[in-house]
Amino acid sequence: MTALRAALEVISLVAFGYFTALSAIYLVFTALAWRAVRRYRRARSYSAVEEAFASPLTPPVSVLLPAFNEEAGIVESVRSLLGLRYPEFEVIVVNDGSLDRTLARLAEAFDLVPARKALRTILPCARVRATYASRRHPELWVIDKENGGKPDALNCGIGAARYPYFCAVDADAMLEEDALLRVAKPILDDPGLVAAAGGIVRIANGCRVEHGRVTEVRLPRSRLAVFQVVEYFRAFLVGRIGWSGMRSLLIISGAFGLFRRNLVEAVGGYARGTVGEDVELVLRLHRYLRERGEAYRIEFVPDPVAWTEAPEDVATLSRQRRRWQRGLGEALWLHRRVAFNPRYGLLGTLAVPYFLVFELVGPVVELVGYPAVVASAALGTLSVKFFAAFFVTAILVGVFLSISALLLEEYNFRRYGDDGDAARMVAAAIGENLGYRQLVTVWRVLGLVDLARRRRGWGEMRRQGLGYTPAGGASKGR
Amino acid sequence: MTLDAVVWTALVLTAAGSLSVYLLAVRRLYLMRSDRRYSAGGERLATLAAALAAGDLEPANDPAQAELELLAELLARYSRQLTGEARSNIAAFFERHGLIARELAHLGHRRPWRRARAAFLLGDMCSQQAVEPLLRALDDPSRDVRSAAARSLGRLGSGRAVEPLVRALVEQRVPRAVGGHALLTLGSEALGPLRPLILDTEAVVRATAVELVGLLGDANDAGLLTDRLRDSAAEVRAKAARALGRLGAEEATMALREALGDRIGFVRANAAIALGLVGDRASAPALLEMARSDEFDPAHAAARALSRLYPELLWSAARDSTSGPHLAEAADLTAVAR
Repeated sequence: MTALRAALEVISLVAFGYFTALSAIYLVFTALAWRAVRRYRRARSYSAVEEAFASPLTPPVSVLLPAFNEEAGIVESVRSLLGLRYPEFEVIVVNDGSLDRTLARLAEAFDLVPARKALRTILPCARVRATYASRRHPELWVIDKENGGKPDALNCGIGAARYPYFCAVDADAMLEEDALLRVAKPILDDPGLVAAAGGIVRIANGCRVEHGRVTEVRLPRSRLAVFQVVEYFRAFLVGRIGWSGMRSLLIISGAFGLFRRNLVEAVGGYARGTVGEDVELVLRLHRYLRERGEAYRIEFVPDPVAWTEAPEDVATLSRQRRRWQRGLGEALWLHRRVAFNPRYGLLGTLAVPYFLVFELVGPVVELVGYPAVVASAALGTLSVKFFAAFFVTAILVGVFLSISALLLEEYNFRRYGDDGDAARMVAAAIGENLGYRQLVTVWRVLGLVDLARRRRGWGEMRRQGLGYTPAGGASKGR
Repeated sequence: MTLDAVVWTALVLTAAGSLSVYLLAVRRLYLMRSDRRYSAGGERLATLAAALAAGDLEPANDPAQAELELLAELLARYSRQLTGEARSNIAAFFERHGLIARELAHLGHRRPWRRARAAFLLGDMCSQQAVEPLLRALDDPSRDVRSAAARSLGRLGSGRAVEPLVRALVEQRVPRAVGGHALLTLGSEALGPLRPLILDTEAVVRATAVELVGLLGDANDAGLLTDRLRDSAAEVRAKAARALGRLGAEEATMALREALGDRIGFVRANAAIALGLVGDRASAPALLEMARSDEFDPAHAAARALSRLYPELLWSAARDSTSGPHLAEAADLTAVAR
């Protein structure tokens, strides 16, 4: 009994320490994010976006869209890309062996005809079956290949890209008209220095979508999706801005990221056989450039928006979160040399250790900590009063952080104009701490179990489609 | 960690959370009111702004101070689409109300974002009074300020800005896209100071100057650019080839054909593109060979050039199964375009 009490005491202490450290980190990041977003908002008022759009010196970009079983939304997504405001770009859709009508829908909508295409073979990828050009849109190419997974499809797209930069976009994402210009701003400012840049991903469920554009921003009806809206604010507006400010950004969302092509080719492209290809690539770029002592930047830009569909059912959401956790684990394992290694600067001493301790292992600490703390209180090892006060404080920290992220969004972007939606977001910021976050913790632990079991594949993603015919699903980035 | 500390933390968090929600609500209310005010007065002010730009409004009829900022915002936006006398009227309005003086003062502000915003706004206020201070702002320590100043100098269309802008651009003090656009807005006036920079001692300066002359120049620049096809820096050779193509410089065809044999791939690629743009059908056999056997990018460029110059030759070559992927792609694309 004494041993059990001692063990519970140790676990409780670790859980308290973990929670206190995590809360402190998030509070610091929230403060950093306020500073950075305010600076960005000001800069937006004097950024020469129109001039960049009109300038022949703006570098051209290849937009890559890997698609697997995306018949529900592929046409709208491609339409949104073809309507981008950018001086010179091409759109390359890579149909990754879809089993549904993805290719047929593209062919109908864009008048595709078979046309041979020269492909670079620097990055290996599965066999290409056919390539198509569009009679209506000379800047559109569709590559039909055998299934090899999202990283494989992206590598194939890189092989087909003509331009020095490429922008990877999820097939179910819709970019805002100026999104490419805005995400390219760091590259326009410092072309030699910026290796990659990522934009923000927002949830489109509930929004009005017309011709591949979000025309009215509304909250989803599903409570689960509203929780994710608030969660995305925290992840993007607080987390990524914080890391970007410290030059240690680890994640550029697979849904929307711009990269220098020759650099990605030099590091070997996207890693095939992983589901965390977005984190893994960014980590590899960091390593490659730091090991060569090259000056570089990988940036997060908080305004260019990619709208994407969030899962609205528990099963799909659980699969997505398990996959993200597995992907993070795979990437961190592959680059374990970076962790706690001062040679990699803040990346090695702060960012990777943070992701390792708090994002990867953290859910286990939380999951073991909850029952241990309850048991400690029940056995009298821990004062019940203290336990109750700490429990309430933990919830309040979560609520405060979520509301801060909402406030950050409201003051700087104010995308959700409806007052009812604002009230629902406040309710969700409180409500998500009472069950939803704990559920996500369980899924993340299950993701680690999947990782330990060396589970492969993406799992089925059920999708409704955004304002169009409901049908099957596909893979998407975090 | 004591119980008291935890309780205090909880209380502080509750207060901070409540304050955040309160701020959220107050801000919503404030914005709702200002939106209402804006939509009520917006239409009238838009009419006023249009009349002011057209010179149909007496200074005595200028709006009250409360509406001035809104009107200034509208006029600044209109100025981006207007030319000639309308811009002078807008400048006169801003000068009359001391808004130019205010923004000029902000150019000396200690905060970079304030200086950058002032530099940006001055470009839309159309007043030539801002040119000299904006030229000085090209040397500001902040890149944002320099970029906004470059953009505004382009908008103000002052010939005095050409040389400093070219310098700022080639020295990479302002973003290429923005600085380049400003110079293109200034037009052929920029050519005078640009041409000598083609012979600068620094390769990066020469490359930028060559590129801009290609965008702004005319056939008279062909000789100067042709010489750069033999530059020691590959970047300059490639840009010179591209510029000659843009200018359609037929007299440069021999030199461009020679450049197809350059040891650097992207120079060969640019030479091929240029020959396609110039319309040199005599280079077709060389381009055909290049499309078949060169590295990816030059071969691709050669095939594309061939599709412009000699589609029949391209199609017949592409029928051969050993012709390679680039000729096949170019042939299929030409067929699709028809």
